[in-house]
Amino acid sequence: MSADLLPLLWMAPALLLLALVFLWPWAHYCWLSVHASSLLTGLAPIPNGGANWQRLLQDNRFWQDALQTLRFAGVSVVLELGLGLLMALLLHRPSRAQGLLRALVLIPWALPGTVMALGWRWILNDPAGPLNGLIQALGGNAYPFLSNPSTTWAFTVLADVWKTTPFVGIILLAGLQSIPRDLEEALRLEGAGDWTVLRRLQWPLLAPYVSLALLFRLAQAFGVFDLIQLLTGGGPAGTTESLASYAYLQAMRFLDFGYSATLMLATFLMVLLLSLLWLGGMRWAGARR
Amino acid sequence: MMRLLLLAWSLLPLLWQLRASFLVGDALVGRVTPLSGSPWTLQNYRVVLGGDPSLAQVLVNSTLLGLVTTALTLLLAVPCAYGLHHLRGRLQPLLSAGLLGAALFPTVLFFLSLLQLARWLGLANQLLALSLPYAALSLPLAILLLRAAIADLPPDLEEAARLDGLNAWHRLRWILVPVLAPALASTGLLVFLASWNEYPIALTWLSKSELLTLPAAMGRIASSSVYTIPYGPYAAATVLGSLPLLALVLLFQRPIVSGLTQGAVKG
Repeated sequence: MSADLLPLLWMAPALLLLALVFLWPWAHYCWLSVHASSLLTGLAPIPNGGANWQRLLQDNRFWQDALQTLRFAGVSVVLELGLGLLMALLLHRPSRAQGLLRALVLIPWALPGTVMALGWRWILNDPAGPLNGLIQALGGNAYPFLSNPSTTWAFTVLADVWKTTPFVGIILLAGLQSIPRDLEEALRLEGAGDWTVLRRLQWPLLAPYVSLALLFRLAQAFGVFDLIQLLTGGGPAGTTESLASYAYLQAMRFLDFGYSATLMLATFLMVLLLSLLWLGGMRWAGARR
Repeated sequence: MMRLLLLAWSLLPLLWQLRASFLVGDALVGRVTPLSGSPWTLQNYRVVLGGDPSLAQVLVNSTLLGLVTTALTLLLAVPCAYGLHHLRGRLQPLLSAGLLGAALFPTVLFFLSLLQLARWLGLANQLLALSLPYAALSLPLAILLLRAAIADLPPDLEEAARLDGLNAWHRLRWILVPVLAPALASTGLLVFLASWNEYPIALTWLSKSELLTLPAAMGRIASSSVYTIPYGPYAAATVLGSLPLLALVLLFQRPIVSGLTQGAVKG
């Protein structure tokens, strides 16, 4: 047997399962997206040319959700980077309880998104939730955190940032710890303060960690689903609906599989485009440095 | 000081849940802060443990599924990582890049096709059948992590075993797997966490209440009634659902962190 075939044989079972779960759906969606398959057709697929795609282009709800998803992902990721960096710098300082501290900080990331989405729904409840309780105890008025169409999205971002900042923080911490201490000490001997050390030494060396962690977070945030479903259900007035929750709604509530598949393909293309832009931007920034 | 702030940010929402889980009715909708004095009660816990499905059943389901998923993932990922490590030529970087892309991808977008697959193969409403998509979704990261661990081993190790006359299977089973134990542990923990937390596929594959996993049960509570949401039982459910993970994170902080960071560095 040739030397190249044997490794492939080792890989075959895993690759088969991966093909079934990662590749086949795209073929299935492409096929579904050019078919009408809904209650109107008795769920039987009937070719309808590009009707689904035409509908998508004219579907205001789709474009609104696309912008909302982009806003959610963009703002979350920027905040996670800032707070994650702060978290990493705090954890990087030598401390006796470093292990315990790291574990405690990691807890929000490890908990199921669904569980904490329910938790936040209670904390943000109007008027009975604890946060409003606190506001009222301080003499303020209860705030409709989850029912104000212009601000509720910010609280979905808050819940997401709370949960995923530890992920970014831990990865940046690993980056910080990979920087030899001598370098930092040498810089400090020259009189550099925290800010200079961060800007001149730590930040440039963190770049590859930041790049990958943020690419991962950006793609995941663009597919946000669990949090939206359980915290706001897409409301109020659809202002927090994400592309994934819209696609879910089309498939499971309206039973319009053809259009749902079209939505999913469109979302996929956007994730792909964003990732390529991100990678291109990173390469450009790397070449300039 | 800053560290205390960090801890407060991370843990306060959880402490609020904990406190709410011991309150009922009027005390709950009164002005509750984590420290306010109200009588503590176990009633919420009785409700969720005696409900349909009982939360105890839900936790058993999630644990069972998590263990089967982890075992299946490692069983497939170890030989695959080994093969990938030994693969030569252009295929290797191509497959690695594909795996990395798959690991980054928001997997919720697959749910409709996977549901179709479940219907065709008769896998809907079978708890352990979920381990198939779960393993697949965890495989890209698992393979990349294990391949990085294999690449870190001294090449002489396998060569010496080969000279001793061990065939590839025996080298993998008796030489590589034992020295890979730390990497297997951290990969396994990440896979278990992912399985424990997965929502959209469980939501669409399972409808029988006695089969629900924790996230699916949470989703059911959330949508049960829009106007009167049973917050006390909610909080009790979140506390019980968090405890196993709290234990995992506190006990295995080191391997989990090493898995996470290896993923970022080597991926």
